[in-house]
Amino acid sequence: MMHQSLSSYLWISTALFAIGLYGLLARRNLVAVLISLELILNSAGLNFVAFNRFALVDKSSGQVFMIFIVALAAAEVCIGLSLILLLYRRTDSIDTERAKELNG
Amino acid sequence: MSDLNLLWTIQLAPLAVFLAVFALPKTARRAAPALGVLGAGLAAVSCLVLAARHGASHGLRVEFQADWLRVSGAGLWPGVSLTDYRVVVGFLLDPVNLLMLTLVTVISFFVQVFSVYYMAEDPSRPRYFAFLSFFSFTMTGLVLSNNLLQTFLFWELVGLASYLLIGFWVEKPAAATAARKAFVVNRLADLGFYLGIVLLFIFTGTLRFADLQPGTLGATLSPGILTFLGLLVLCGVMGKSAQFPFHVWLPDAMEGPTPVSALIHSATMVAAGVFLLVRSYGLFAASAATLDWTLAIGALTALVGAALATSQRDIKKILAYSTVSQLGFMVMAIGAGAPASGMFHLTTHAFFKSMLFLTAGAFIHRFHTNDIWEIGRSGGASDRLALGALAFGLLSLAGLPPLAGFFSKDLILEALRERGALPFAAGLLVSFLTVYYSTRLFLVIALTQKAPQAHGHAAHEHHETPVLAACRALPLVSLGGLSLVAGAAGTPVLGHRLLHWLGAHTPHTDWTLVGITLGLIAGGAGLGWAFFRDPAAAEGRLLRPAGAVRRALDRKFYIDDLYVFWVKRVGLGIAAFLNLFDKKVPNRLMVDRTSYAVLDLGKIASRLQSGLLQDYLSVAVAATVLILFFLMRSRGL
Repeated sequence: MMHQSLSSYLWISTALFAIGLYGLLARRNLVAVLISLELILNSAGLNFVAFNRFALVDKSSGQVFMIFIVALAAAEVCIGLSLILLLYRRTDSIDTERAKELNG
Repeated sequence: MSDLNLLWTIQLAPLAVFLAVFALPKTARRAAPALGVLGAGLAAVSCLVLAARHGASHGLRVEFQADWLRVSGAGLWPGVSLTDYRVVVGFLLDPVNLLMLTLVTVISFFVQVFSVYYMAEDPSRPRYFAFLSFFSFTMTGLVLSNNLLQTFLFWELVGLASYLLIGFWVEKPAAATAARKAFVVNRLADLGFYLGIVLLFIFTGTLRFADLQPGTLGATLSPGILTFLGLLVLCGVMGKSAQFPFHVWLPDAMEGPTPVSALIHSATMVAAGVFLLVRSYGLFAASAATLDWTLAIGALTALVGAALATSQRDIKKILAYSTVSQLGFMVMAIGAGAPASGMFHLTTHAFFKSMLFLTAGAFIHRFHTNDIWEIGRSGGASDRLALGALAFGLLSLAGLPPLAGFFSKDLILEALRERGALPFAAGLLVSFLTVYYSTRLFLVIALTQKAPQAHGHAAHEHHETPVLAACRALPLVSLGGLSLVAGAAGTPVLGHRLLHWLGAHTPHTDWTLVGITLGLIAGGAGLGWAFFRDPAAAEGRLLRPAGAVRRALDRKFYIDDLYVFWVKRVGLGIAAFLNLFDKKVPNRLMVDRTSYAVLDLGKIASRLQSGLLQDYLSVAVAATVLILFFLMRSRGL
């Protein structure tokens, strides 16, 4: 068993956030961007649960937050994917570089 | 009725007619001539009642006034210690304006009557009579004003009436142009007048004529300022009374209907300038330099007008230049310090000159031409009434004793002789030229052989009803009679009653002057007779190539050309330069440059908008990181 401590959870969460941020900024595929966004959300969720486990007396509120985040993420993915679908129909691609009609 | 009620009647009866004509339904507009005559008649009768009531009393001075605006406790201008300013409205009644009022209302009445004949066939008669009544309203308002501001308001309205009536035949381009010219020239002159009024108000705090006394003015103001104010007011007079160099509008104003010329452009409105000079004589007398200028301008006008009258062919133009010249003569009288004589000449001149114009109208209406040779060829000499009136009027104008012009002109010459040799010489020359062009006008109409094809021309075209014939004859005869009466009132035989009443000292009769005048008349008439004994030959001489003098006369001494030069070359040149400057500097350099600069900045800024999602995100993330970094640093973390 690995040694369990708050800092190890925070390190994992930071790693997830960093990977997500990198994906968000570097990937040109919109689905990959959406996945990166999910990673960032989950890193935040992981933080909630970890702080709940190590720092709080009442062990439930952080987990309730996490459940809300999961529900929110589901809704967000729904909308995000449908937007991507629409974009695909319009431009035959889900590359962000193709969707820059609003440039100056 | 009380004096005030009579004054209100004089003022408002013509105004009521003016409004009524426009309020009438179209079908009832035919009553306009009757209404016009009625309104003018009412005003004339009221005025005669007033004159009969006060004609004998000396020292008449009735003033009705009410405060309009009053500012006290604060100066209007730095450097002027005055703190009490009053603007009043009111009527003033004294001999000078009772005389002027009588003249205006009586001549208005006769002109309205004559217009019934003259305008009988014009389809827009109602408008004509309405405007004529409007003129009577404004003119009496001007005469009755007791202060300069009220005078100025009516002064402008009179100008408007003049403009409307000169351009009455709007379909005639020449009439429209003449109306515009009269309007513009007068506004130019009135600018000076208005400035004078404003400055006078600032310096003295009052505009009442009663307060314009040389003594009080001289005590409060420096001579330089007084001269300046006097010249500014004189500027307005020069416009209205057609003094050199503003006289150019008057001959052109003859494009209007002839009765209008008789009323407005010979007897009343153009005399308003002279009237104002007499009215505010205190202001002019307060500075010797102003009087000198007045005299000089009057002399120049009188000479230029008389000289130009000698070469015109158009009967109305001859009379118009004659009016210019006579107005100059009156202004000279005032400049020479004899306002009562000027006023006397104004009176006699108004009667015989309006009669002359109506006579011209009678000729023009019957023979359909303005050219004196043409009138003669169409049988002008056979129209006994008009020819008689013409002879009578011209003899009065020339100043043959015992007709009206003789006495008034003699008084002015006397005043001029007291003033100096140069003004006197100018006066004599003007008198001589007056006799000469009068003789010319009469001889050409009377002696030109009637052309055979013109036989019965008049009789065929005009079936004058007795009413119209009466409307033609009555004003001519009455005005002739009135000019005799007005002249007689100033004669030594009747003890200079009119002059006494106007407040002048008694002039002594000078027989040498009478001799000189008679000599001048004989000389002028002789010269006229020598040249125009045979009008056909004189007309033939006109066809010969013109010498320098006649070219100058034909070009009206190049004064109109000078105006055109100033306006077209200089004025438009400056305007073109300013236009270019406006286009290049404020428009191009300032407005356009600013907008281009903003546009270019926008172009640069728009490059930042790549349209790429991740670029925006990167900026957002970088900004968040920076904010966090600084927040943490400020918290000491």
